[in-house]
Amino acid sequence: MRIIIGGAGDVGSHLARLLTEENHDIVLVDIVEDKLRKIGSVHDLMTIQGSVTSVSLLNDANVKKADLYIAVTGSEEVNITSGILAKKLGAKKTIIRIDNPDYLLLSCKEIFSSVGIDYMIYPEMLAANEIVGLLHQAGMTEIVEFSGGKLSMYVIRLSENAPVINKTLIEATEISKAVDFRAVAISRNTETIIPRGQDRFMANDHVYIVTNQTSVSDILRYSGIEQFDIKNIMILGGSRIAKKTAKQLGRQHNVKLIEINREKAYQLSNYLEHTLVIHGDGSSVDLLVQEGLPTMDAFVAVTGNSETNVISCMLAKQLGVKKTIAEVENVDYIKLAESMGIDAIINKKLIAANRIFRFTMSSEMSSIRRLIGTDAEVMEFVVKPGSKITAGPLKDMGFPKEAIIGGVIRGKSSFIASGNTIIKSDDRVVVFALPTAVTKMCKFFN
Amino acid sequence: MFNIRLVIRILGFLLLLEGFFIFLCIPVSLIYREGVHIELGTCGLINTLAGGIMMLMTWKADRNLQSRDGFIVVSTGWLLISLFGALPFVLTGSIPSYTNAFFETVSGFTTTGATILDNIEALPKSVLFWRSLIQWLGGMGIIVMSLAIFPLLGIGGIQLFDAESPGPTVDKLHPRIKETARRLWLIYIIYTVAEIILLVAGRMDLFDSVNHTFATMATGGFSTRQLSVGYWDSPYIHYVITLFMFLAGVNFTLSYFAFHLDFKKVFQNNEFRLYFGIIAVCSIISMLVLHRTQDFSWEESFRHGTFQVVSIMTTTGFVTTDYGLWVPLLQFILVLLMFIGGSAGSTSGAIKVVRIFLFVKNGFLELRRMIHPSALIPVRMNKNVIAPEIISNVVGFIAFYLLAALIGVIAITAMGYDINSSLGAVATTLGNVGPGTGAFGPAASFNHAPALGKWIFSFLMLIGRLELFTVLILLSPGFWRK
Repeated sequence: MRIIIGGAGDVGSHLARLLTEENHDIVLVDIVEDKLRKIGSVHDLMTIQGSVTSVSLLNDANVKKADLYIAVTGSEEVNITSGILAKKLGAKKTIIRIDNPDYLLLSCKEIFSSVGIDYMIYPEMLAANEIVGLLHQAGMTEIVEFSGGKLSMYVIRLSENAPVINKTLIEATEISKAVDFRAVAISRNTETIIPRGQDRFMANDHVYIVTNQTSVSDILRYSGIEQFDIKNIMILGGSRIAKKTAKQLGRQHNVKLIEINREKAYQLSNYLEHTLVIHGDGSSVDLLVQEGLPTMDAFVAVTGNSETNVISCMLAKQLGVKKTIAEVENVDYIKLAESMGIDAIINKKLIAANRIFRFTMSSEMSSIRRLIGTDAEVMEFVVKPGSKITAGPLKDMGFPKEAIIGGVIRGKSSFIASGNTIIKSDDRVVVFALPTAVTKMCKFFN
Repeated sequence: MFNIRLVIRILGFLLLLEGFFIFLCIPVSLIYREGVHIELGTCGLINTLAGGIMMLMTWKADRNLQSRDGFIVVSTGWLLISLFGALPFVLTGSIPSYTNAFFETVSGFTTTGATILDNIEALPKSVLFWRSLIQWLGGMGIIVMSLAIFPLLGIGGIQLFDAESPGPTVDKLHPRIKETARRLWLIYIIYTVAEIILLVAGRMDLFDSVNHTFATMATGGFSTRQLSVGYWDSPYIHYVITLFMFLAGVNFTLSYFAFHLDFKKVFQNNEFRLYFGIIAVCSIISMLVLHRTQDFSWEESFRHGTFQVVSIMTTTGFVTTDYGLWVPLLQFILVLLMFIGGSAGSTSGAIKVVRIFLFVKNGFLELRRMIHPSALIPVRMNKNVIAPEIISNVVGFIAFYLLAALIGVIAITAMGYDINSSLGAVATTLGNVGPGTGAFGPAASFNHAPALGKWIFSFLMLIGRLELFTVLILLSPGFWRK
């Protein structure tokens, strides 16, 4: 695919990197030369310096032949203008980043599609959805759902008193016979491994588990995680993510939001009628304790500063808050933050990039997701008639070692794959793969 | 810290590729019944075996190439293919001394065209073909070629491309480096085929046409004749070769635009205009002076003057007449042109017109900056502002280039040569031109230089082709420090 990306900010450059690795032809445009040079000297893509709203520049970037135009500059207006221009100049599809949730309303979508903007993404909204999802599943670090929840992948951090600790995978299945699940990957320290029967679980492992929705509570029990209801939530920072999250959590939860800027706090209190907005410095321990941090069920740190978020989450953890979620925008910090015991990490860039990534997938792949804290991807394939994978039982297929089939969705039912499973055409298959195996593995579905 | 396995793997592939091209010389030996096909086959086999073993040993190399690895690959790669590429000369007995053979091979791959041969016609045609072929391969860059056909590199390609085809501005024809490399090679091949056809049409025999075309398009300058292009007393052939030398000295990206009928981009390009301007002015001066001082008609003055100016400026190094007999003024102009060279992104060598353009323009703007100390006066090229880092890179490059030339001249004069010969020889090897002046002029060869001198010249040719930094960075201690 030939893709033009306007804006080499966080989302743009992350996306450019991802898509280049997936063998797409990328042209990256930005007005700041330095940003382009940084990424252009390392990755195999074309960079053009200039304004994304310039028609001559878009023509230079050969927008006529572009399959996809993505506008992700910091300014919504620029994105809209450049999206319209790109479409009218010949780009097949356009995706832009917006800051205004109203545009996602159905009536607005029609207006935008009539002028040539096919999709809009609002990263803050996506991040807020993610946070709310995590708060509803108290024990999880990350959740990926397939085919509307028929099959899910959970990322769970094993606690030290989990029954499966120091057991091999085979032994673990013995203990938990009643539960239908498959551990597709273990992330330990900075390494991601695809476990085989003889590999052992260890404390603090992040385990990637594919399962049917029915067995969630059992899995949590075996992982040594007690499930609890989250009622009291404290949100640090009055960012747009915080605003969306608080709005969604609304009346069902007790939400306290702390914002340092008085003006902003005042506006937030007007907008969020069910939330208690507090004006104060969130980095002050006294204030947090005074506002009842130790009594909270969950703590969400989404200030613009990743370091503040990580540190305040660690503080919350120390004070006994069960669930902590930190927004970490610096991708390099994510693994570090996870190893410090923070329960879940939110990264706007990754979330937005994942969403856009879906538009570039081949037809047999119906969903794909880069996981936080590892290079691995989890994908959902629709098995086409006659593809290589349908030839026999999985164990005889010579499927690459760096990839694993977690589960299968057949019609309305779903089940966990084992060596004896035979994949049929029109099945939907959930595959977990390390980057080295992606191309090898895709051949099985063609 | 370095990805040694992948470096070895790529080097192995280069040798494999070289082996393949040596095999291509075998049919030539068979056609002309020269009886050296066994020797050539042995060379090919040595290359393929060495390359094959290197690749097999590093089957599971990590595919991630850092820019540091890129510098190592390109520098050692060029050295390695030169070391192995010398084998056909030695094993066939054409050039028995390895030092001489290595000099000739480096001169070939770096598209210099300086030779140690005093009787070229005595060599087997298959060996002469190899000699021209390495120029053709070196012209567009053997590593750029492997990028176009070798799928191994997912991430590191750009580092290799930058290290082999350095220059202050990068023009990509396609988002993918592989596709860019393919397009460049395609243009190169189109020009090559066109020139062969035109030369054959001018009654040059096919073997000479192919060899001269290879040497022209690479701006190399190896001829199959002792008298170089002067062997043919045909104005048509002289003009055809002049034209293609000129084209080979233009940025290939501009040729790409021209093929797409986008002539505006070509004629508005500052570098192209300056390139054309320098050639026009020097040709006219040569014509006027030659007509006065030599026994030439106006047409001959124009033809020989222009041919020589284009040949030297594009760093090809073909000659139609012995310019060693011309007046000092013209010889000095030619030495100056040896320093300037052709356009960036072409197959020519030396400093390159774009650097001269930025250097001189920045110098003049410096005057204006002194008049208006607080004014912001950026350097512009092709209507774009050029970043100060690029200007400082250009200034640094020119300083290093002149320094390298200076040290070279000191070394050569230390061997007893006069200043004129030494300066010409260093300018011609560092700039990848071919013939020098004085004792190294077009009528003579480099054979009389002492062995140490030949190794120095070989080194100058290599660093000149890879534009100094790629090689010199390996010699700096900071590169190896952890």
